[in-house]
Amino acid sequence: MRTLLIYCHPDPESFTAAVRDEVITGLERAQAEIRLRDLYAEEFQPILGRDEFRNYREIDANRAHIGTDCQDIAWCDSLIFIYPTWWYGMPAMLKGWMDRVLVPGIAFHMPDAHRRSIRPAMHHVRRLAVFTTCGASRLVTTLVGAPGKRTLLRGLRPLCHPRSRVTFAAHYLMDSSSPQSRRRHLELVAAKLSRWSRGG
Amino acid sequence: MHSLVLFAHPQHDSFCAALHRRVLDRLQARAWPIDSLDLNAVGFDPVLSATERRDYHDEAVNVEPVRDYVERLRAAEALILVFPVWVFGFPAILKGFFDRVCLPGVAFRLENGRVVPNLLNIRTLVAVTTYGGSRWRAIAVGDPPRRVVTGSVRFYCQPDTTRYLALYDMNRADQARRARFLERVGHAIDTL
Repeated sequence: MRTLLIYCHPDPESFTAAVRDEVITGLERAQAEIRLRDLYAEEFQPILGRDEFRNYREIDANRAHIGTDCQDIAWCDSLIFIYPTWWYGMPAMLKGWMDRVLVPGIAFHMPDAHRRSIRPAMHHVRRLAVFTTCGASRLVTTLVGAPGKRTLLRGLRPLCHPRSRVTFAAHYLMDSSSPQSRRRHLELVAAKLSRWSRGG
Repeated sequence: MHSLVLFAHPQHDSFCAALHRRVLDRLQARAWPIDSLDLNAVGFDPVLSATERRDYHDEAVNVEPVRDYVERLRAAEALILVFPVWVFGFPAILKGFFDRVCLPGVAFRLENGRVVPNLLNIRTLVAVTTYGGSRWRAIAVGDPPRRVVTGSVRFYCQPDTTRYLALYDMNRADQARRARFLERVGHAIDTL
C-alpha cells in the first residue's frame, strides 16, 4: 500500500495533529509506505494564479510548478486527507492544493470532440480516506450539505478507481470537545483506518 | 445601495472577468456606490495562520490581521460574489476570505452556545459563478458552493434578496449561451 497523506493544520499542537499521528501509527502497523505532505509546514502556495491558469489545460505545461505533487499522485494507490473543517469546507490551503494539483492529465481528462464529460485519470487510487473535525454539530453540518466531505467523497472519488474503498470520520462540536470525546475519536479513527487498509 | 463586489478569478480576459465587468457596469448605471475587491489583484493571502487560529474565538483581537477587509464587509449593504467554481468549490483565494475575514464577531456571534447572524447590514446577497461541469454533476456532488452561499452566508446576512446565478457546463458553452448568461446577470443586477 502506497499512501499519500495530505495533512493541513497550522497548529502543531492541534487535535488534527493527533489524528495525523494516530493515522501514521496505523499505517506503519499495516506496513504501508507513507508520503506525508504537511501543507502548512511546507508553506505550500495555494493560489492558482494567472500564469498557471493560462496553462491549465496544457498537459505537461500545467504541471511545471507542481511536479512533485503530481509525482506523489501518480505514485500512490491510497489517498488520505486530514484537516479541520472551516466554514463547512476544507481550509483554503488544502482547497488550493486541490485547485493547483488536480489538473487535467493528472486527476482527469478534459471533454473532447467525442466525450461530453470529463473522464477519470486516477484509476490507480483504490482507497480514499477523510478525517476531519467540525466546529458545528453533525446536524448543522448535514443541513449545509457537508461541503468538505462531499467535495472529496463525491467529487474526487469518481476520479479514482470505480470500486475504491472509502472511509470517513469527523469529530463534531470540536469547540466543546473533552479529553474523553477526543480519545474516543482517536480510537474510532484507528478502527476505521484498520478496516480500510485491510480490505481490497 | 453600497455594494462590496468580491472577484476571485486570476485572468482578466476570462469569461468570469467579463461577468465581473458586467456587474460593475450595471451597478454603476444604477449609481450604487461600489467597493470593488479583486482578491487576486490585491494579493489577498488566503492562509489562516497558527496565530489567527489560536485567536479565532477572541473577538477582541481576531479581526486585527484583516481589519480593513472586515470594515469593508461591515460597510456593505449588498454583497456580490463573482467567482469560478474549481474542483466543486470556491477558488482557494475566496475560501480563504471566508476562513480569515468572516470571523466570530464579524459574520456571526456566539450567544449562550448558539450561533447568531451578525452581518445584518447586508440586505442583498448575489453570487455570479461558472461551473466546468454540468448541473447534474454539481447536484450529484451536492453543489457545495451553492449550499454555502444560499445556506450559510445567507443565514449570517439574513438578506431581503438572495440570487445565485450560475452558468453550468461552461467548457462547452458557445458564444450564444455565454451572451445569454451575461444578459441574465445584467438583468438581475438591474432589477435587484
